[in-house]
Amino acid sequence: MNAVPAQPEELSQNQAQGYTVARSFWQKEAVLAYLFMVPGALILLIFMAYPFFYGLYISMTDRFVGIPGSHFIWFENYRYLLDDPVFRKVVRNTFVYSFVTVPFKLVLGLGLALVLNQQFRFSRFFRAGLLLPWIVPTAISTLAFLMLYNGTLSPISWAFRHLGLMNGNINFLGDPVNAIISICVANIWRGVPFFGISILAGLQAVPDDLHEAAALDGAGAWRRFWAVTWPVIRNIVLISTLFSIIWTFADFQLIYVLTKGGPANSTHVFGTYSYQTLGVTDLGTAASISLYMFPFLAVFAIILLFYVRRED
Amino acid sequence: MAMVGSNRMQNRWIQLYIPLIFFLLFLIFPFYWMLIVSLKPDADLLNTKLNPFLLYHVTIGHYTYLFTNTNFVRYVWNTMVVTVGSTVLSLFCSILIGYALGRFRFRGGGFLGSAIFLAYLVPPTLLFIPLSQVVTKLDLYNKYWALILTYPTFLIPFASWLLMGYFRTIARDLEDAAMVDGASRLQAMRTIVLPLAMPGVLSAGIFCFTLGWNEFLYALVFMGSGNMKTVPVGVVTDLIRADVYFWGSLMAAGILGSVPVAIAYSFFVDNYISGLTAGATKG
Amino acid sequence: MSDERAQRLIAEAKTLRYSRRTVLKRAAALGLSAPAIAGVLGATGHAAAAQSGTPAVNLGGSLNILQGTYFVPAAQDFFTKQAKDWGKQNGVDVTTDYINWPDLQPRTTSAVQAGSGPDIVEMWPGIPYLFADKLVDMTDLAEKWGQANGGYYDWVTKTASVNGQWKTMPHGTSSIAVIYRTDLFKAAGYDTFPETWEDFFKAGKALKAAGHPLGQALGQSLGDPPSFCYPYMWSYGAMEVEADGKTVAFNKPTFVDGMNTFIQAWKDAYDGTGLGWDDTGNNSAYLAGQISATLNGSSIYLSANDPTSKDSNPELAKNTNCVPLPKGPTGQFCNLGSRSMGLLSYSKNQDAAKAFLGWFFSIDNYKAWIEAYKGYIIPTGPTLATEPVYTSDPKLKAFIEVAKYGRNQGYAGPSNLKSAQAAANYVIVNTFANAVQNGDAKSAIEQGARQLERYYGR
Repeated sequence: MNAVPAQPEELSQNQAQGYTVARSFWQKEAVLAYLFMVPGALILLIFMAYPFFYGLYISMTDRFVGIPGSHFIWFENYRYLLDDPVFRKVVRNTFVYSFVTVPFKLVLGLGLALVLNQQFRFSRFFRAGLLLPWIVPTAISTLAFLMLYNGTLSPISWAFRHLGLMNGNINFLGDPVNAIISICVANIWRGVPFFGISILAGLQAVPDDLHEAAALDGAGAWRRFWAVTWPVIRNIVLISTLFSIIWTFADFQLIYVLTKGGPANSTHVFGTYSYQTLGVTDLGTAASISLYMFPFLAVFAIILLFYVRRED
Repeated sequence: MAMVGSNRMQNRWIQLYIPLIFFLLFLIFPFYWMLIVSLKPDADLLNTKLNPFLLYHVTIGHYTYLFTNTNFVRYVWNTMVVTVGSTVLSLFCSILIGYALGRFRFRGGGFLGSAIFLAYLVPPTLLFIPLSQVVTKLDLYNKYWALILTYPTFLIPFASWLLMGYFRTIARDLEDAAMVDGASRLQAMRTIVLPLAMPGVLSAGIFCFTLGWNEFLYALVFMGSGNMKTVPVGVVTDLIRADVYFWGSLMAAGILGSVPVAIAYSFFVDNYISGLTAGATKG
Repeated sequence: MSDERAQRLIAEAKTLRYSRRTVLKRAAALGLSAPAIAGVLGATGHAAAAQSGTPAVNLGGSLNILQGTYFVPAAQDFFTKQAKDWGKQNGVDVTTDYINWPDLQPRTTSAVQAGSGPDIVEMWPGIPYLFADKLVDMTDLAEKWGQANGGYYDWVTKTASVNGQWKTMPHGTSSIAVIYRTDLFKAAGYDTFPETWEDFFKAGKALKAAGHPLGQALGQSLGDPPSFCYPYMWSYGAMEVEADGKTVAFNKPTFVDGMNTFIQAWKDAYDGTGLGWDDTGNNSAYLAGQISATLNGSSIYLSANDPTSKDSNPELAKNTNCVPLPKGPTGQFCNLGSRSMGLLSYSKNQDAAKAFLGWFFSIDNYKAWIEAYKGYIIPTGPTLATEPVYTSDPKLKAFIEVAKYGRNQGYAGPSNLKSAQAAANYVIVNTFANAVQNGDAKSAIEQGARQLERYYGR
């Protein structure tokens, strides 16, 4: 990446043009900037902003897909959800799901990064291999977990039985607490590589000589980490955390495959409940459920971005 | 971290081998399981007396079933087209956005940057119904473009952010010098900045590719018909037959759908990480 | 002599699902005469292809049919081929898609909202009501189909019509019975299957002690859990609503008693992991020999009994029998509702779609279809219920017999938006799950009643 490309020959032929470019520099820069935003903005406007605002509008109607006519009812759907006992469980589960898994993913990801940052044989293959959980399509890897948690076929249950630790099969997905734990483990498994690789990227920016200097000063590993490493990786840790919170909060597929929110709604989250509500064509309520996530996510985003910016 | 002292080997175990073994067990075990199941005859799978961790008989039947009874090859092709297409499109948009936000000072830049980031907060479960209307209006239903154009909505925000950080790490002087030498800004960008930014672009590309490769909901709803399914959708719809899972073939598809990608990644994983390094620490 | 060989080839072709080409090859190998070959082709459903070349009517265009995945894989391949053949003869480009059952509903919702997608969609019981306004009317064809079948069962009319108006074509449904292990029950001292729920639980207690509990899914799944919960509720005197379709009639003292019985039974007789099962849970638990009985469609037995199936297990099939659900104090029931095929009004090729449905819903063709389905799907009226596919194997008789105990979700009202909401949100199922988890029948039922009031009162 530090290879300086050769100056192309033709550049010198455009001296005159270059002069005008330089003269109208600031003006030109702003114009170019807006121009550069156009392709991405166009895609985001058509395929993101429009559906989003349309969804926002739908959430304030009592629209059912197959039933003609609908009324604008302001925040009635949102109010209706507030005294929906299932929805209250959904909010609780989503918070538990996010705030249990994200710290684990962070700590394990950090550990993974510290391990992979060392020099050892075949490290490249380990690095790619340990990315596997992130690469395999979730729809399929979750099925592998469904099997590991299966009431009949689970090899984990088999091992426990044969070690004489228990008689029956472990009730991974049928007990409310076990179900949440099982789902969290699958989520953590899937999420660790992203943290690991991101933090590893941050670690590579830590200058070795600083570490050595600190070591010579007699600082222990723990102090060296906080004094030398942490300031460098702090931003990427915060940003990764933010992304992970957003993904986990809005997660749908993993829980949908494993429990569909059961047993008795004990693992339902926003995404799965919204999808379930869509199943009965109740567009308005489904949209409101999804949109309830938005303020929470916005608050997380603002807090974390504030911390990231404060440093700059 | 540097190892010093006589108990170097012991340190090596504590700091490297033991944690590495732990991570291997935790992260790779499900793949071991997938591999075992994909090679195990169904009768053995249901036989709870056998040790499920071992293979007593080996069959490649699940793999042949995958290739003969489902359109797996076609699904892989579809996924490639859609993933590569949306990755290229996202990179194109993100390079421009990242460059504009990372390099130019202009009014509204901060606002636009935040707005693009906010796009990340919109959950797909909300979007997919209104989006299906957009897809239909543009006559994209069940065509590759349906996904090539919709995937960037969740790829552009991260890729732009990463590239913005990356462009900031590249010294301004280089392109200024080129422009003084007579290059237009676009030329300077193409010939000077972009080649320097390749590690960052590669990182963003890998990131986009992975997310596109994994996507399920949009693929199911906008392109899930006939031969147009992607790997996750095709495999799940063809191999979960009502109340029966075709476990072996499902896991075979999981192995075939991830291990080649991981092997490909292993060749530029270090590039990927270094690209992420520059982008992320200056973001 | 030649006849005998032809008969053998027909049987062979049917069990092994030979393609037309394979049939011809085998016929040549056996040295059959031309008329005999034609006979074989006719009997194995390849006759249509034999006369192809001149399309009957050229309707043109394309037609996409979306269904849930079939419970009997061979039937799915059969339908695909059937639809393709019909398309060839009529000059229509027919494509068939199958999707996981739980995804069918959201997929349909998004197609209808977008105004494009599959032309013909299969719908769960009660769902036609939700899309009534977006479906092409089927009154003529449905009435003809009703007459041909000796009328519709009550549960068909209540789940596949919209207040008596036919918006979709009902094509029958998976039927539910208790599938149990005769060898294990015999070993526990039961030569005949218990008649009431309480005796069934008693047997289960003995069986669980012997290491083979009963199995029942109580997770959030739309197939197996409701198949148990609704009939159990009905047989203990409760239902979702009264006939007025408004007054919730869920919290009944008899039901609280019944639930208490079930809570105890769940501990004594059932496999506790059932709370986490989806629709596949009991299939694998039964096929793995873990459980001694479960409620299901005939697919478990069929796949164990079929030498070509991946879960083939002749020994298990031999030791399996199927009986209607047990009785409770207020009767014997089965939760049934007809699935149906709906033609969506956004379809651009409605003539072809109607022609296809008209052809599919002809007795001859439908018979071939239920035969491919090996009797897993039960028909919409009594006429076909005596077909050999339902009666020849005594173990399958229960599945057709329960048609007379059938009740729709939302009973005593019709299946409609409200009952669909209650079902989609698993109100009844979760009442059971809550009860066995917390051991408190009364509060679980009260909570369920409040949820029902929310949907029925809105």
